[in-house]
Amino acid sequence: MINHYLALVRRELWEHRSIWVTPLAIASVVTLGTLTALVFSGKFAQELDVAIFAAQNLAGDTERRVVLTGFFFVSSQLFLLGLGVLTIFYALDSLYAERKDKSILFWRSLPVTDAETVISKLLTAVVLIPAVAIVGIIGTHLLNLIVTSIWVSMKGGDAGTLIWGSVPFLDNWLAMAIAIFGMAIWMSPFLGWFLFVSAYTKRSPLLMAFLPLVLIPMLEGIFARSTHFAEAVWGRGAKIPLFADMDIEAFFEDGPPEITKEMVSLLAHMDLGRFFTSIDTWLGVIVCALLTTAAIYVRRFRDES
Amino acid sequence: MTSLVTARGVSKHFGPVRAVDNVSFEIEKGRILGLIGPNGAGKTTLLKALLGLTDCDGDLSVLGLDPFRQRKKLMQNICFIADVAVLPRWIKVSQVLDYVEAIHPNFSRSRAEELLQQTKIKKDSKVKELSKGMVTQLHLSIIMAIDAKLLVLDEPTLGLDILFRKEFYANLLNDYFDEERTILITTHQVEEIENLLTDIMFINDGKILLDSSMDLLSEKYIELMASGEGAQKARGLGPIAESEMFGKSVMLFEGVSREHLEGLGEIRIPSVADLFVAKIKEARK
Repeated sequence: MINHYLALVRRELWEHRSIWVTPLAIASVVTLGTLTALVFSGKFAQELDVAIFAAQNLAGDTERRVVLTGFFFVSSQLFLLGLGVLTIFYALDSLYAERKDKSILFWRSLPVTDAETVISKLLTAVVLIPAVAIVGIIGTHLLNLIVTSIWVSMKGGDAGTLIWGSVPFLDNWLAMAIAIFGMAIWMSPFLGWFLFVSAYTKRSPLLMAFLPLVLIPMLEGIFARSTHFAEAVWGRGAKIPLFADMDIEAFFEDGPPEITKEMVSLLAHMDLGRFFTSIDTWLGVIVCALLTTAAIYVRRFRDES
Repeated sequence: MTSLVTARGVSKHFGPVRAVDNVSFEIEKGRILGLIGPNGAGKTTLLKALLGLTDCDGDLSVLGLDPFRQRKKLMQNICFIADVAVLPRWIKVSQVLDYVEAIHPNFSRSRAEELLQQTKIKKDSKVKELSKGMVTQLHLSIIMAIDAKLLVLDEPTLGLDILFRKEFYANLLNDYFDEERTILITTHQVEEIENLLTDIMFINDGKILLDSSMDLLSEKYIELMASGEGAQKARGLGPIAESEMFGKSVMLFEGVSREHLEGLGEIRIPSVADLFVAKIKEARK
């Protein structure tokens, strides 16, 4: 059973090479950015010497953590954005391409059910692409830290203390993994919708998927004078109940805030219990399941002749 | 004899159009059946029903299974090449082999590789780099490496040149077919396959016009080429079709004994193509 699904998901990697090319491209851009910054920083040699000295002797462990976590966070966001867009295009193409290139009857001539095929595509979007993103993020972080360590060492700094000793690896990576898989589950109703459109439409899956998402809020605004659909669809991404609420007022009320290690911890700001007990999370999963089932039925009952 | 396929009152309609209209037939193990019909006769719809790709009314059993509801199990013992079933252009030859090996319990990779070695197909080539003939060779190599009980070929040689077509059927007969396997073929190029067939079925407007073994066909149908008085007498025996050739009448008889026709002209076994044309014309009267 597992081998069966592994074969189906491996097939997706063969067909959609962008699943592994995109992370490589993002990793290259980030690393190129780091290298460019390091090369250009050579113009400020004296200032750098002072900065490295200050970072090593004056700044505390927490401050160093803030800087490195910032780098981790921003580079991870690039992966999240890039692979998010990739997932939309993947899901829209996954059941449409096999009809467009007329290979669907070949795939259906083999002992694989329509349900297994469609579920393998959902698993690719919800599990494989996020997993590839996480591997890409970890690889990029390590590569960039190695490059930066070499540079710091060449400048006479202690890379062990400045970089490797200050990086909250596990905290950052675990937080990124939770955020990425959490986002994949949270946005899964959209994946279900894209799979359904991909199975159903005869042309332009991108247009057919987004047209109702634009038109319905417009019609709702004009005729019902409300924005429920727009909020549910376009506002969903920002409403993910994965992060613990921070009391911003209390944070600033006693003068400048003192940054603690716990504040820098990305993991400390996450609330998995809230995510999994949110009714909105499970409603999304149910909508995804219903739309995926609809996609299976369309693939099964559509006459391709 | 063991029936591999049993159809009883099978129908399939699309709105008011009856693509398959209350057909009943059986296909026995170890036979090569040709399903012949004009465009829009219902061949492809019937094949789809047999392959579980479309639902239908009536009782249909293939290898003892309900094809639509037990398609996955059925596909472990059935192979098919459809005229529109093209291999995906992006895939590499080695990847097709990897994929089929992973998901098909009855696929022999070594057999497929052995068959591919007899062709010019390279394992690292993509399907889009192969000619149409080579793609069909690749597809056939995969199919022939699957230990299936029933092979369904829907216009398998469409668009191929005569060399590939001959080679295709030769490979099928020499390297694949045995008494444990059954083949169902539809094609427009009926002349090319009539020597391979053990059984034949004509279909038109969703109805079966003829369902017979090739042996019985030559006993039941006789073609007579006659002129003058012989032709006049033969006409009295009720031919199902008549045409003119080289100034002589060519008549096709159904169920008329050879003794009755002897002496009236030149007696021949009709070709499947001639018989097909005659039966279709008869049905359209």
